[in-house]
Amino acid sequence: MVMKNPKLARVAKGARLELVPLQVLVPVISTIIALGIGLLIIAATGASVLEAIEAFWDGMAGSDFNIGASINRAISLALVGLGFIFASRANLTNVGGEGQIAMGGMFATAAALHGAGGLPLGLAFIVPLAVGTIAGAVWGGLAGFLKAVRGTNEVISTLLLSFIALPLVYWSVESFHLLRKPISDVSSLPESAEIPDTTKLPLLFPDNGSPLHIGLLIAAIAVVVVWLVLKHSTLGLRLRAVGLNATASRRAGMRTSLYVILAMTVSGGLGGLGGAIMILGQQFYLTSDFSSGYGFDGLVVGLLSRGSAVGVVIGALLFGFLRSGSINMEISAHVPSAVVLICQGLIVIVIAGSAILTNRKVTR
Amino acid sequence: MALLELSGLTKRFGAFTALDDISLLIERGEVHCLLGENGAGKSTLCNLVFGVHRPDAGTMTLGGEPFDPRGPAEALQRGVVMVHQHFNLVPNMSVAENLMLGRASAVLKPQDIIVRMEQLAAEYGLEIDPEARIDELSVGERQRVEIIKCLLGDPQLLVLDEPTAVLQPDEIDALLAICRQVALRGKSVILVTHKLGEISRVADRTTVLRQGRIIETVAMEGADIRSLVRSMVGRDVQSAGSVLAAAVDIEGKTPPKSSVDAAGPVSPGDPVLQISDLVYRDPHGVPRLDGLSLTVGTGEIVGIAGVEGNGQTELGLILAGLAAPSAGAIVVGGAQVGGCTPQEITDAGVGIVPEDRHAVACIKELSVAENLFLGAIGKFSRVGLLDKSARRKAAEAMMRDFDVRASSPDVSMASLSGGNQQKAVLARELSLDPLVFLLAAQPTRGLDVGAIEAVYNRIRAARDDGLGVLLISSELEELMAVSDRIAVIYRGKLVGELAAGSFSREAIGAMMSGHAHV
Repeated sequence: MVMKNPKLARVAKGARLELVPLQVLVPVISTIIALGIGLLIIAATGASVLEAIEAFWDGMAGSDFNIGASINRAISLALVGLGFIFASRANLTNVGGEGQIAMGGMFATAAALHGAGGLPLGLAFIVPLAVGTIAGAVWGGLAGFLKAVRGTNEVISTLLLSFIALPLVYWSVESFHLLRKPISDVSSLPESAEIPDTTKLPLLFPDNGSPLHIGLLIAAIAVVVVWLVLKHSTLGLRLRAVGLNATASRRAGMRTSLYVILAMTVSGGLGGLGGAIMILGQQFYLTSDFSSGYGFDGLVVGLLSRGSAVGVVIGALLFGFLRSGSINMEISAHVPSAVVLICQGLIVIVIAGSAILTNRKVTR
Repeated sequence: MALLELSGLTKRFGAFTALDDISLLIERGEVHCLLGENGAGKSTLCNLVFGVHRPDAGTMTLGGEPFDPRGPAEALQRGVVMVHQHFNLVPNMSVAENLMLGRASAVLKPQDIIVRMEQLAAEYGLEIDPEARIDELSVGERQRVEIIKCLLGDPQLLVLDEPTAVLQPDEIDALLAICRQVALRGKSVILVTHKLGEISRVADRTTVLRQGRIIETVAMEGADIRSLVRSMVGRDVQSAGSVLAAAVDIEGKTPPKSSVDAAGPVSPGDPVLQISDLVYRDPHGVPRLDGLSLTVGTGEIVGIAGVEGNGQTELGLILAGLAAPSAGAIVVGGAQVGGCTPQEITDAGVGIVPEDRHAVACIKELSVAENLFLGAIGKFSRVGLLDKSARRKAAEAMMRDFDVRASSPDVSMASLSGGNQQKAVLARELSLDPLVFLLAAQPTRGLDVGAIEAVYNRIRAARDDGLGVLLISSELEELMAVSDRIAVIYRGKLVGELAAGSFSREAIGAMMSGHAHV
C-alpha cells in the first residue's frame, strides 16, 4: 500500500521525461497489438490467414489505384479530424461529423447538378465545394449558436443534428423534385444523377490510373492553415482561452459566445468540405448512405490526434488505408470486414487507454 | 500520557512532499495551534489525523493505541472530530434535523438531540435554536452548529481547520472561548490558523510548520511573538510595521493609520467612481445589493469592510462587468459603466483585481506572458499570427517591473506561487491605459507575508499616482492598514463610514454585525 504511490510517481515521471517517443511508440505498439488480435480472429473464422493478409495488403497499397483510393479516403477523414481538433481547441466536442459530411455532400451534389456544371475556370468544382463547406458550416454553427445562446451541450446537439441530416439526405434522394434521378428502368435506385464531368475534382495523376485527386492539395492546405491558426495565431489563443476559462476570457474583453459559434462553424465547415470532396472526388452521385461512417471515423481520428494537426494526418492515413484493405479483404479473401472494424475499435481502445499512462498528471 | 502521538509522518502528493517527517505530541486538555503560511502543510496534517488522507510513512497513536484511520468514519469512531473550512450542513433543514443526520441510530429521537443540545449550551455556552433553519443562520451560527455536531458524541480531540477566516470579530472571540472550554474539560483541540493574534489569546502550545516541516513547538507562556513570525516566514520581515500586523493579526499592534506614515496625508480629489442606489438581485430574485451608494475620489483608497456574503462579491462582479445591476448607476470618470461589457469597462479606465484569482483573473493553464496580455492578445500580432518574441520581451519587462518571479514568461501560470500570480494580475491591471480606478477585491487572500507587502505597496503607489482605489477585504487589519476611509457593508447596503484616524476594531465590528451606525 505504502509502496504503491512512489512507484506510480516514478512511472509518471519517466513518462514525462520521454514524452515525445512515447507518443509515437504507443500508437504504433497499440496498432500492432490490435492487428495481431485481428489475425487471431481471422484464424478463428476459418479463413486462411496468409490469404487474408495478402488481400489486405493488396487492398491498401497493392497498386497505384489502391494507394490513390486509400489516400482519397484519408482526405475526408483528415478534414473531419481537423474540424474536431479545431472545435476541441475551444473545449468543444463536435461529434456531428457524420451530419456535417451529409449536409456538405448533399448540397455539393445539388450545386453540381443545378448550375455549377457550366461555370468556367475550375469554378465548376470550386463552387460546389464552397457550397458543401457552407452547408457543413451552418450545421456546425447551429450547434455553436445553441451552445452560446442557450447553453445546450454541443455533444448532444451535434449528435442530434446528425440524426436530422442523415434522413434529409435520404429524403433528397427519394424525392424526384429534389435530387433523385429520373427512373429509366425498373432497377433504378434511389440516388441522384451523376454529376457533370466538369464538376468532378481533377485528378493529380490522370495518366497512371490513380484516382488520387486534388482533394489531397485542399486537405494539405487545410492541415497547414489549421495548424497555423491553432498554434500560432491570435484566434487560436483566444479559442484556447475561451475553452479553458470562459469567465476569465470574458473579463479580459473577449466575446466568448462569438468564439464558441466561430469554432463550431469552422469545425462543421471542414466536415462539410470533407463530404463535398467525397461526392466530387470519387462517388460522383449522392446515395442515402454515401458517408457510411466517415464522420465517426473522422471523430476517432481527431480524438486520437490529441489536438495535433500532424496527428490528424497520421490517423487519417492509418484509417484510410485500413478501410481500403478491409474492403479488399472481404472481397478477395472472404473475411468479414467486421474483423477490421473490430481491429479499429481495438486500436482506439488501446490508444485511448494508453493515454492514461502517458498523460498521467501528477495530482497534488 | 499524550492523547495523540504522531511520529515520522510523511505525506506526498506526486512529487510534492506536503509533510515531511512530522513528529508531534498533543496533550490532553490543551489547545494546540498549528501556525504556518499557505501551503505549509497545516491542512494536510489535519486531514491525516481525520483519516481523509493516509500517510505514506510514519505512525499515529491515539490514547496509547495505534491509530491508522482509513477514513473519517473510523476517526469519528475513535473520538476524533473535525470542523472543515466549508460547512457540511443541509441549508433547508432545521438545526436539530441536521444534527440527527449521520447518527447511527435508525430511529430518530428529536427529543434526545434537544436534551443534549441543552447540556452543551450549559457546558460551553453554545446557544442555538434547535428549530431554526440553517439557511436563516449567520455564518458564525452555522459554524456553531458544526461544533455542536462535533461535540454531540463527546469526542477526545476536536480539530478546527482555519475556523476564524469566515467570522466577524465578536464571533471569533466567542469561538476562542469555546475552544478554552473544550480544553478545560480534558479534551484536546487542534486549531489551525495563520493569525498570531488568535494564538496568543487561546493556545497552550503552538507548532510552527513551514514547507511541510515542523520548525518549532513552543509553549505560549512568555513566548516571543516576533520569533514565531520569523519561524513561520523563514526570515525577518522587512517592514515589520503595518504589513506584518495586518498579515498575522497581532492584537493591538496595528497603527491607526499607517498610510499616513507611508506616504503623507492624502487629500482626495474629484470623484472618479460614483455608485448611486445600486441594486442587484441574484438569479433567484434574492436581493444581494440593496441601494448601495459610494463615491471614490482620485488619490484615495476606500476600504469596504463586511462579513462575507453581504454583497461584496456581487459588487465586485458588477464593477468587473460580469454581472448586470438590476437598478442604479455606476459612473467612472463621467462615463456610465453599469451593465457594460468588460471591454467597455476596461476602456473607461477601470482595472480589476478580482476576488477569485483562479476563476476570473487568470487562466492557469496558459503561460505567464499569455496571462499578462490576456486582454491585449492582438497587441503582439502580424496578420493575425502571434509575435511571440515581442510578447515575451514585453512580458519580461513587466515581470521585472512588478517583481513577478518565474523562470521564464513561458511557464504556465499554475506553476507560480499565489503571490506571484497576484503580482502578475496587478501588473496587467495597473498597466492598462487609460487607468483611473482600481478595484482590488480580497487582493491578499492566500498570499504569504512577502507578497502581501508587495501588494500593499502597489496599491499605495497606485493611489499616490492619483488613482481611485476600492479595496474590498474581509481582513479588518488589512483595511485599517491600507485604507484612507472605510465603509462598512451589511446586507447589501453601506451602513457606516469611518474616516482615517478614527478606525476602531470595535466600531467597525459592531457595524459589520448590523448594529447601528457608531
